[in-house]
Amino acid sequence: MKSLLIIEAKKSPEFLERLLRVCRHRGFTVDSINAETGSVKQVSHITLTVCSERDISLLTKQIEKIVGVLQVATLQQEQNIKATA
Amino acid sequence: MNGAHFVVQALKEQNITQVFGYPGGAIMPLYDALFDGGVEHLLCRHEQGAAMAAIGYARATGKVGVCIATSGPGATNLITGLADALLDSIPIIAITGQVPTHLIGTDAFQEVDVLGLSLACTKHSFMVQSAEELGPIIEQAFEIATTGRPGPVLIDIPKDIQVGPSVAHALAKLVNSDKQLNSKRIEQAKSMIESAKQPLLYIGGGVGMANAVEELRDFIQETKIPSVCTLKAIGCVPHHSPYFMGMVGMHGSKASNLAIQECDLLIAVGARFDDRVTGKLDEFAPNAKVIHLDIDAAEIDKLRQVTLSMTDNLKQVLPAIKAKTNIAPWQKQVAKMKIDYANRYDHPGEPIFAPALLRKLAEIMPTDTVICSDVGQHQMWVAQHMFVDRPENHISSSGLGTMGFGVPAAVGAQVARPNDTVIAVSGDGSFMMNVQELGTIKRKQLPVKILLIDNQRLGMVRQWQELFFNGRYSETILTDNPDFVTLASAFDIPGETIVTKSQIDQALQRLLKSEGPYLLHVSISEEENVWPLVPPGAANDQMMESVG
Repeated sequence: MKSLLIIEAKKSPEFLERLLRVCRHRGFTVDSINAETGSVKQVSHITLTVCSERDISLLTKQIEKIVGVLQVATLQQEQNIKATA
Repeated sequence: MNGAHFVVQALKEQNITQVFGYPGGAIMPLYDALFDGGVEHLLCRHEQGAAMAAIGYARATGKVGVCIATSGPGATNLITGLADALLDSIPIIAITGQVPTHLIGTDAFQEVDVLGLSLACTKHSFMVQSAEELGPIIEQAFEIATTGRPGPVLIDIPKDIQVGPSVAHALAKLVNSDKQLNSKRIEQAKSMIESAKQPLLYIGGGVGMANAVEELRDFIQETKIPSVCTLKAIGCVPHHSPYFMGMVGMHGSKASNLAIQECDLLIAVGARFDDRVTGKLDEFAPNAKVIHLDIDAAEIDKLRQVTLSMTDNLKQVLPAIKAKTNIAPWQKQVAKMKIDYANRYDHPGEPIFAPALLRKLAEIMPTDTVICSDVGQHQMWVAQHMFVDRPENHISSSGLGTMGFGVPAAVGAQVARPNDTVIAVSGDGSFMMNVQELGTIKRKQLPVKILLIDNQRLGMVRQWQELFFNGRYSETILTDNPDFVTLASAFDIPGETIVTKSQIDQALQRLLKSEGPYLLHVSISEEENVWPLVPPGAANDQMMESVG
């Protein structure tokens, strides 16, 4: 099952590492990722497509616990969505 | 004031009076500041010992434990302790020195990417990149470590920031963030409790971490709902409570495991459905609706789909869901199971039976004794056969199962509670994993008592080899152990060895009455196993039991 996540987080040098580690450890494969940091508010915007047999809520709840995460949205969850990298 | 002095000052502002650690090159400025900075430092003999002493300190008091190490190997040696604290949700702060900022990323001497290493074993971690960040980071670190689900936080401080000028930072006042309870869910919980015929409380370590022991006891007093607990929740419910069945899970009591399988409502309180508790997950509490109370939303529906959940502070939610129950037949059934399946201590022969020894110790030790277990068969025997009446009096590496935990945890507990008896119960395998901490006991003249249960085996692994690997005892035979009493004496710790039952009473008295540290080395048969045992992959009612 593929899911598309949109994450907003406070900018920090290691945030992507934290995010990707959580995805792998909790059993989700990252199919695509796009990350941009706004110049004004120092907020990182990350779009992530992940794949797993596990329910996506198991991942989003863990991502929400990462210090610095402001918002996590699950936009789609279906068998075959197109990656938007 | 330089950065290092600022750190010591900030620790004092967080009410830290005691830290544990080991100096080295990149953390020398902080050690210089600690020299006369007004925060007591205890030199442990390995950074892992320092981390576990900080855990013992935190668990024995409910306060934050602090450990300090240098860069590179000092930091890597902390990692097991941090992972232990993460799995058991213990609030500790680890401060590591780092090579100067301009050398980071150059493979400098004793440089390792500590922030990278910390990602999987801390709740959060910081690398300080400027003097301005130092104050806010220390403040955030303490807040993160202690709020919500507690956990370890690491602060990595480059040496140039320690020696450079500091920047003043005013401490913010923390605001109580208790939220409004959801009245609809409260009413639903009460309704489920009222209509249940066979409700059961499954109590986890979150109760102690939330400081909600009194609220839990009030809830039990009023509802009279029977209860079982996890390893980390031992002490939350008084052991003499008629409906308290003991520990549940792989080495849980038979009564607990059967009650779980028969209940129609399971109320999980600060517990996380760990595999050592549930056995075969699909068959755990198969007939029960589940109410899950836990501060961590990520635990809800992680392993067991629940009927109702609340992620509120247990101190708030437990009083709110008190409800009238009408469960006399269930209470009677549970009380009977508790009697029918009570532990027996009438072990034949003269060799020492460890469960009986530990039971005896529990009966005669002072009320506020702190028991620090190591990991293995003796750990399970402590959980099954000893009793304490406060969770902070039973300190055990529950989630990570870290051999070598017991002695350094006892060091931290004894420093925290100098007037209470602290006993480290260890095994011959675990004891050797952090044996250097005898040097810490000697240095501080700590009156830690050590009960070393020696079967000349890595007993728990040996038991599994006997039961599940056709008796092929691969690397678990330790007949080449050192003479433990002589080893202790090298650290000026007196001790003795006992081998028969008739020696137990007087030896335990000598252990408890010794003014300083003491080692009681107990020789037992290598064939003793921990029973009951839920085999891997089996449901909790499929326990293997002793045939002896």
